[in-house]
Amino acid sequence: MIRKLDSFFEPRSVAVIGATSGRHKPGNDILLNIAANGYSGELYLVNPKGGEIMGRTAWRSIGELPDGIDLAVIILPAALNPQAIRECAAKGIKAVILAAGGFSEVDEEGRLLQAELEAVVKETGVRVIGPNTSGVTSTPFNFTSSFFPLGRIPRGHISYIAQTGNFATHTMRYIATAEHYGVARVVGIGNKVDVDESDVLEYYATDPETEAIFVYLESLKSPRRFLEIARETTRRKPIIMLKGGSTDGGSHAAGAHTAALASDDRIIDGALKQAGIARIYKYSHLILAAKALSAMPLPRGNRVSYLAPSGAMLVTMTDLCQKYWNLEVPALEESGRSRLQEISPPYIRMRNPVDIWPSAIVNGIEFAYREGMEAVLKDPHIDAVVPILMITDETGVPDLQFVVDLARKYPEKPIYATFSAEKKHMETAKAFLEPRGVPTFPMIEEPFEVLSVLAQCRRYMDRGAGKKGTI
Amino acid sequence: MKEMESLLKEAMGQNRRTLSEYGSSRLLAAYGIPTANGALARDWAEVKKAAAKIGYPVVLKLCSPEVSHKTESGLVAVGLRDEADLKTAFKRIGKASPVKNADCLVQEMVKGGRELVIGMVRDPQFGPCVMFGLGGIFTEVLGDVTFRPAPLVESDAMEMLMEIRGNKILGAVRGMEAVDLDSLVQCLMAMGKIGMAHEEIQAIDVNPLIIRGNSPVAVDALVILNPSS
Repeated sequence: MIRKLDSFFEPRSVAVIGATSGRHKPGNDILLNIAANGYSGELYLVNPKGGEIMGRTAWRSIGELPDGIDLAVIILPAALNPQAIRECAAKGIKAVILAAGGFSEVDEEGRLLQAELEAVVKETGVRVIGPNTSGVTSTPFNFTSSFFPLGRIPRGHISYIAQTGNFATHTMRYIATAEHYGVARVVGIGNKVDVDESDVLEYYATDPETEAIFVYLESLKSPRRFLEIARETTRRKPIIMLKGGSTDGGSHAAGAHTAALASDDRIIDGALKQAGIARIYKYSHLILAAKALSAMPLPRGNRVSYLAPSGAMLVTMTDLCQKYWNLEVPALEESGRSRLQEISPPYIRMRNPVDIWPSAIVNGIEFAYREGMEAVLKDPHIDAVVPILMITDETGVPDLQFVVDLARKYPEKPIYATFSAEKKHMETAKAFLEPRGVPTFPMIEEPFEVLSVLAQCRRYMDRGAGKKGTI
Repeated sequence: MKEMESLLKEAMGQNRRTLSEYGSSRLLAAYGIPTANGALARDWAEVKKAAAKIGYPVVLKLCSPEVSHKTESGLVAVGLRDEADLKTAFKRIGKASPVKNADCLVQEMVKGGRELVIGMVRDPQFGPCVMFGLGGIFTEVLGDVTFRPAPLVESDAMEMLMEIRGNKILGAVRGMEAVDLDSLVQCLMAMGKIGMAHEEIQAIDVNPLIIRGNSPVAVDALVILNPSS
């Protein structure tokens, strides 16, 4: 099936207009990125000086290119963009990414230039992403248009829509180097002269490579369409959104309470809820929740059990679960509870959340956490488990294979690991657990925050099944 | 519905910013929102007749599209128990009115311990949005309200009811019956329908929406028009 926007995500041939051999320039970094990601389609480079760039012949102008190239990435000064699009259109190119900034985000001159771009889009019918963006990354097709030095971008099933090129640049570099998950598609939509957030959402909605969608937007160009697509999509795929800034909307009708209370944020809040989009407020959650969803299934509900080495953590996390995270910490079934009691010294009365340290002192860390986690994973009232692993040289460094084994044994229940005590062991544990499919989180609140967001996604998904609320 | 079209058309034609309370209330009623029983009256004879028909106690309000903030200006009298009360109130409101020979609205006195607010506002980004929350003075004081873009399906409306912080007010509290949630849901959906159907309406306030027994009744309504539409 050929879908709209396929030329951006699965181009069989790409022309880079403004390619250069000058190192550390966008027109060169894009070529390094394309090479590093192993793009296997045809690549055409255009530079008015001609000659060779990175061992390839450069074409002197767009006009010299063969007909029917799928996608052009234009990396030229802003003022040259309208004409470049016209020339691309004349060669039968139907999709264009515009990298340059210097349009409506800057000044009046830029605004006029952007209006000209809009006119050219209408006149030629070319689909345009940008301007003011690093464009598209599509790992199933080994392609990126990003001009920020990235290296190879790991493949996965999370897709991002971002307002700016941000995600396809330094955030992506962070994900690629610090985390152990990959992405399917990433788009920075930039100034949206043509393709907007709704077009991309529509593509992701039916994209078999995309299992969850993360969105960072400062404004919506087609809000009602976006919500309509989202409402349909969130029955099947989670959508998680960070809404940056506030719009200048604000409906003012003198004398009406309704209008006076209709702040943008309240309306956006209601709109996102209606569409089943889980709203987040932290930038880091765009990464942490994606990591969790890459490794583990969506939790079936909001009921959590956790194992901590200290009473303080048990108490404070329980408070936060109730007060801020909408997570339940339910009582365990007697069989699970008595198993916890069995592995613990008699002076402590075991329950959920699980005070695991007395057992660890008696039985060793590995035994205590393994048996404790299994007892709560088996419980039908528990949807997800968070072990807070305390590791030091003195108390012992466990072989964490048992966590991986438990994750495989209970594949329907997310396990999110976090840590206490010595930093170096957290790093080692992350490097061991994450490639084996168990996500880790450096700070103890983070797995709960992520669980809270994903449990919300689950509620939205279940809503389609017609569950009703009660007072 | 034809009556509503002509009501709105007439108001727009006169460049008015609002519908009168009576006009607003008829608009709501046309969309199935339960409204307080009321009648428009031009003079004392009509006021007296309307009150007798509705049955005491009654409420008397000045009713003119040019006058808002009626309570603050002393243009509303509530709990009028008999004709003597009514006459005093009629005279007082007549004196206080900034508009000569304005109509009066005679309304049944709706009693209930709970006041809610429902509304609609046309947002520049999301179009018509429906509001629900705590009503009366608490609308301003607490701002415990929630919004959804129209149109609403039943589950949207039901979620709005659950979502306000003060949602316990809808349950069986202090000896009062639990509110009939389905009829509230219908009111919210109706607000959405009005927003979708009438571009020329910029905002609607129904405050208070009083819960009488277990059912909502719109007691005061204000429809704000968008002169540029």
